[in-house]
Amino acid sequence: MTSRGTPSRFLQSVLQNGVGRYVSQLKRICIVFSRKAQSSLGVREFIEEGVVDYAKKNPATVVYVSPQSCRIPKIVAEYLNGNVREEIITSKTAPQISDLLTKLTNQSGLDVIRIRKPFHTDNPSIQGQWHPFTNRPPCIGPIRPQKQEAE
Amino acid sequence: MSSFSRSAQQWATFARSWFLIDAKMQPPGKIATMCSVRLQGKHKPIYHALSDCGDHVVVINTKHIAFSGNKWEQKVYSSHTGYPGGFKQVTAAQLHLKDPKHLTIVKLAVYGMLPKNLHRRTMMQRLHIFPDDELPDDIRANLTEELPQPREIPRKLSEYTQEEIDAFPRLWTPPEDYKMK
Repeated sequence: MTSRGTPSRFLQSVLQNGVGRYVSQLKRICIVFSRKAQSSLGVREFIEEGVVDYAKKNPATVVYVSPQSCRIPKIVAEYLNGNVREEIITSKTAPQISDLLTKLTNQSGLDVIRIRKPFHTDNPSIQGQWHPFTNRPPCIGPIRPQKQEAE
Repeated sequence: MSSFSRSAQQWATFARSWFLIDAKMQPPGKIATMCSVRLQGKHKPIYHALSDCGDHVVVINTKHIAFSGNKWEQKVYSSHTGYPGGFKQVTAAQLHLKDPKHLTIVKLAVYGMLPKNLHRRTMMQRLHIFPDDELPDDIRANLTEELPQPREIPRKLSEYTQEEIDAFPRLWTPPEDYKMK
């Protein structure tokens, strides 16, 4: 599909995050994996060693670890604006999964669609945007008023 | 101005103004350059050829237009009817006899100075030419600025007061037998 047929958005930050304090936009991480299957080998290794460090490093994010009998292990990330992202992690190694988790942590929850412009500003004009009467004071009184049988 | 909403600010920035030019005793070429600059919107810092930012221009007193030099006799307006032998050449003096209000002279001057693209016709529609001082009331109500005349009109000898004539320094005294023309 062309970019006209697919949705698009303008560049924005969530409530000017980072101007003051930076708030991590990741609300909840749910790691769904299976205890025995071969596809979740990397996930299990990550849970053995990396998950607790990750949870300690990101105190704002709640980490759920749910072993279930499932064919494909997933990471379900929920963001503060309500968006949910599911990443499939079959046959990924533990370092790859930790990289994926850092990527999800650093994302804001905004949609991953075409960004129309790579720039945005809330204050497009500092000195005031030009209008026809900047540097041209308007005429006081009508121009060439009709002299009605005067003089 | 900074308290405007985004749409109100946009409307203020791209608003179309109406300019007035008095063509009394002015060369039509100079009038036409001023008109074409403002019809295109080139006097604005927000100019872009595609953004339709031209203004309206009202030209008055075109029946008093003044070509410099011998242009009334020498300037030639040419056209071709499309048929063989249809090449017509008309001098400005003949055009004056045909149209003493000089509407076509000013119109052709501005038309030739606008960019030769499809926007030209729209820009010409925003040009309003009047032969004398009379303006319709709705156009008069729209005017925002009168532009200064490009040529300084020299004064006739009859417009000088006797004191100014006497105060002018005498350059040379003619001898007694000198015959003045």
